[in-house]
Amino acid sequence: MKKAVLPPDSLTNEAIAARLTNAADENLKKGLINKRNLVYLELNGCSGNIISLLNGQNPSFEYTLNSLVDLRYSNSLMAAEGEQASEKLMAVLDEDFILAVEGAVALKNNGLYNVIGSLDGQPLTGLQAATTLGERASHILAVGACATHGGVSAAKPNPSESVSLQQVLTDREIIKLPGCPVNPDWFLGTLAHLLLYGEPETDNLGRPLMFYSTLIHDRCPRRPFFDRGIFAEKLGDKTCLFKLGCRGPVTRTDCPTRQWNGHVNWPIGDDTPCIGCSQFGFPDAMAPFISFDTTRVVKDE
Amino acid sequence: MQNIALIRLQMNHLVTQARQDIHSLSVMDDSSDNSQTLQRLWDTVSSMHFLSEMLANQAMMAGYYFSTVPAPALPAQPGTAAQPGVPPVTPLPNQTLPPPGDLTLTLQELENYDGKNGRPAYVAVGGVVYDVTNNRAWAAATHFGLVAGKDYTAEFASCHAGQEAILATLPIVGRLA
Ligand code: HEM
Ligand code: SF4
Repeated sequence: MKKAVLPPDSLTNEAIAARLTNAADENLKKGLINKRNLVYLELNGCSGNIISLLNGQNPSFEYTLNSLVDLRYSNSLMAAEGEQASEKLMAVLDEDFILAVEGAVALKNNGLYNVIGSLDGQPLTGLQAATTLGERASHILAVGACATHGGVSAAKPNPSESVSLQQVLTDREIIKLPGCPVNPDWFLGTLAHLLLYGEPETDNLGRPLMFYSTLIHDRCPRRPFFDRGIFAEKLGDKTCLFKLGCRGPVTRTDCPTRQWNGHVNWPIGDDTPCIGCSQFGFPDAMAPFISFDTTRVVKDE
Repeated sequence: MQNIALIRLQMNHLVTQARQDIHSLSVMDDSSDNSQTLQRLWDTVSSMHFLSEMLANQAMMAGYYFSTVPAPALPAQPGTAAQPGVPPVTPLPNQTLPPPGDLTLTLQELENYDGKNGRPAYVAVGGVVYDVTNNRAWAAATHFGLVAGKDYTAEFASCHAGQEAILATLPIVGRLA
């Protein structure tokens, strides 16, 4: 059972996550918490977030799907297709469910620029799905850049007239998980928190503080170089990437400590500047992603 | 010359520190304890890098230092070795000399300070020209879609309303003509 107080429990990410998952498991078995329905909508976007989630560890995506929630609808993962899939989606409406949405909502031509299925012989638009399900869901998670603030889908010139989920669900409270894509831990952790303890504490932009409170620049291993004014001049240099256009100083996530791909590395760890993918307004507000013309001095430009 | 002696002293301290840490790491069994030592080693190496950049900069700036003594191992930049009489300057690496705070620039002149090609990055707000070259929020002389070298009075008012304190943190270069 439980370990004694001393020696103290390990505080690695893995150990903490394992304790949480075990606690959730036990509470599920005892009937203290119930599995909730989860609907995962993919709207106007690249499906990059659901792919990123497959990379989840502690808890893994598989564990989440099998033990924490009943995944009632996911375009990428479900077996049903066509009208059958849409019917499954509509069947959830009368039950309690958590709604996760990735991708922006395309408004052009009444939503016809993003058709996610068909229902009763009619095209089912992302706009329709977002508003219908958004009104009924008990909790809403906007997953990734496009859903939280429009992201790449809404980048200039925005031919599909894409907007964030919040803009079509103006009176709903939405937990926002920006990132392009979202880190699997940010989504799975928020979902687990929702199931175990309710809504996590968020900042004034709706981002969970447990993942989005620290400026990358303040935890960056290259900070000593920034403070001394030693700057990389090209990709691959091991010093501060500020002059190449690093957006770490304006982006708040736990990338430097959490890292990616199973917690093994992250952009700056691989000598490429942060492009601010988790900043509101990405990508337009974070452009240019890389500049070589700030440090390089050439006589005739 | 005093300066160089001081840098050398500091460098030697850092080397001693680094050797000590390497020794500690080599005898430490418990790998969970070594992160602090590794962090210090990393910082030490960063400081050494900084000092060596500073030395190299001095070597480039002034053949002056080395014109009286036989050329040391430091490679002098071609073309600068034979320039006696250049006054001694000890610039910090990657920092332009502090420009006079009373520069008067036209909008057209301001455009030159776009942060490109080693130039400083200036922006104007309310008639005052500020230096954002090394401001953390202006990486590569760009900031939320804005590029340096322009008057952003309107943009500042709409994006940072009530945040005049931000301006107070920026070095003032001068005024718009
Ligand atoms: C398009 C309009 C602008 C937008 C959207 C914008 C956005 C932002 C944001 C979001 C931050 C906070 C970064 C963070 O710490 O998380 C910031 C900081 C900053 N902005 Fe802007 N900004 C705009 C215009 C300007 C202008 C015109 C200036 C010119 C002086 C400026 C100077 C700064 C500075 C110096 C900081 C750093 C403040 C600090 O040290 O905490 N911004 N800006
Ligand atoms: S690499 Fe980026 S985040 Fe790291 S210290 Fe430099 S500017 Fe800051």
